[in-house]
Amino acid sequence: MPTLVSVFERPDDVASVVRKLKGRGFDGIDTYSPAPFEEIEKAVDPKPSIVRLFTLIGGLAGVFTGFFIQIWMSLDWPVKIAGKPFASIPPYVIIGFELTILFGGLLTFIGMLVAGGLYPRFKLDSTYSTRFSAEEFGVVVTCKDRDVAEVDNLLRSGSAKEVTLVDA
Amino acid sequence: MTPPPPATAVADMAPPAAPPADSRINLDILSPTRSVTAPYFMLLALAVLGVVQAAAVLAYQTYVGLGVAGYQAPIFWGVYIITFVFWIGIGHAGTLISAILFLFRAKWRNAINRGAEAMTVFAVLTAALFPLIHIGRLWKFYFLIPYPNQRGLWVNFKSPLLWDVFAVNTYMTISIVFFYVGLIPDIAIARDRSTGLKKVVFSILALGWQGSSRQWKAHSRTVLHLSGLATPLVLSVHSVVSWDFAMSIIPGWHATIFAPYFVAGAIFGGFAMVLTVMIPVRRIFGLENYIHHYHFENMARFLLFTSWIVGYAYGIEYFIAWYSGVEPEQTSFWLRAFGPYRYSTWIMIFCNVIAPQVLWIRKLRLHVPTLFVLSVIINIGMWFERYVIIITSLSRDFVPAAWGIYTPSPVELSVLVGSFCWFSMFFLLFIKVFPIIAITEVKELAIHEKAHGEAH
Repeated sequence: MPTLVSVFERPDDVASVVRKLKGRGFDGIDTYSPAPFEEIEKAVDPKPSIVRLFTLIGGLAGVFTGFFIQIWMSLDWPVKIAGKPFASIPPYVIIGFELTILFGGLLTFIGMLVAGGLYPRFKLDSTYSTRFSAEEFGVVVTCKDRDVAEVDNLLRSGSAKEVTLVDA
Repeated sequence: MTPPPPATAVADMAPPAAPPADSRINLDILSPTRSVTAPYFMLLALAVLGVVQAAAVLAYQTYVGLGVAGYQAPIFWGVYIITFVFWIGIGHAGTLISAILFLFRAKWRNAINRGAEAMTVFAVLTAALFPLIHIGRLWKFYFLIPYPNQRGLWVNFKSPLLWDVFAVNTYMTISIVFFYVGLIPDIAIARDRSTGLKKVVFSILALGWQGSSRQWKAHSRTVLHLSGLATPLVLSVHSVVSWDFAMSIIPGWHATIFAPYFVAGAIFGGFAMVLTVMIPVRRIFGLENYIHHYHFENMARFLLFTSWIVGYAYGIEYFIAWYSGVEPEQTSFWLRAFGPYRYSTWIMIFCNVIAPQVLWIRKLRLHVPTLFVLSVIINIGMWFERYVIIITSLSRDFVPAAWGIYTPSPVELSVLVGSFCWFSMFFLLFIKVFPIIAITEVKELAIHEKAHGEAH
């Protein structure tokens, strides 16, 4: 299927052209952006990121682990200190809290790798170019042969600087 | 708007004749990683030398025993614990800048957050060494971790010292993760502009970053969530460190104000360290276009504000000691100000409360050399604050017969010097390899400004 790579200068142009393309039913859209712009991310995919699920699961696992290891270990090796209960909850809140943060943070990181499709790689997308890590934006559209002209027209009317056809 | 060209234009579309020049921001911020001069290598050599001498001294201490560290009854917490608290505190400003100011949408953090985060990571890496140095038998450090063993023995979860193990390790891990997440897009920029071995390393570290909308979305969410997690974490870490002291009944330590007092002190000292580090970096690498006086002024305001919190805490400690009517407490505080360690107390008060008052004057807030000198003064003051808290309290306990005098031994002082060298070594290596300013964050603002300017 043919792929069109277009170059833009302004984030709001990218967002509006993506919305227009989506309105016309084109779905194979991706963008490259030198900095984060929420409007673009929303235009491409309005659904909330799944990272939050990872944070939640990590945090819950952490608070559970924290209290579990402390209570179990204090009952496994009971030491009577100043007549206090072997497993006393108030001091255990601290390590419970720390592990909530630790597990939550680590799982959030894993969530980013999963949600962003990030892994060490040497070969990048053929449509990617180093100008997108300078100050330009890219919109990549994959469509059917007969739609090329229409997509090209939409991109140009959305003030694309350049449109290149790549046969991928 | 020009009318769109006909659809047939697609067919004869040629690739652009010459690729556009690289972004100014990329070139400027990456330049320190490209060109370093002889003075840089001399500084690095000096730092490595300092680390090597401290390692040698440490080997000597490990061989002979902790007696060479100047520990003697009743003082068994000395320079090592002071320096541990000092470096942990330094880290806090970095997390404050990167997480708390992020949540408050304070855009001025963009130019300094990378430097501050790097400082946090290296400060915590430095701090984490000190409990190990302090325990003497380095090879038994794993006793601190609850692990199954043949004695069926577990650690004491009611001890603040164990809370500290968990707090510091969590803080170290989360700081490193946060730092790395922020670096990924910038590593990708560096990857696109490097060759050879550097490109291989950066390709691995950049995790295939291309700035696609899916990646940015995951990244922004992750930064937000990590900020949300790091904010209570940073407040908890120094609170837990303060409870190492406050949970005991030693006069001068057993105070409820300790947690907020320590956190404010940490932020105060950390901001001073950000200035100490960033002022020379900005000057040497010509980053005046990115780190403005405006950033320094904001940090100076933070310094002034936290200086008042710290000053208030000093005052309230004395008031409560008097108001409590507890004689050992009163004696302890009297001896802080007028006893054998009075010099350290007055240095602390001068450096942390009196000297920062010059920041009321706007001209001095904007005067970079003044800020640099002041930041060094505050660093010294914050080290002495911990000296005062730890040494005066331990040496003047309930029973006068058990009083003693502590003098830091040459071994401790050389390890202290080594810790600064260790920190500097990491920071210098970082400057050479990674961008010291968060490029994508600066770009985000620049692109916004450009788009805004064109619209009007």
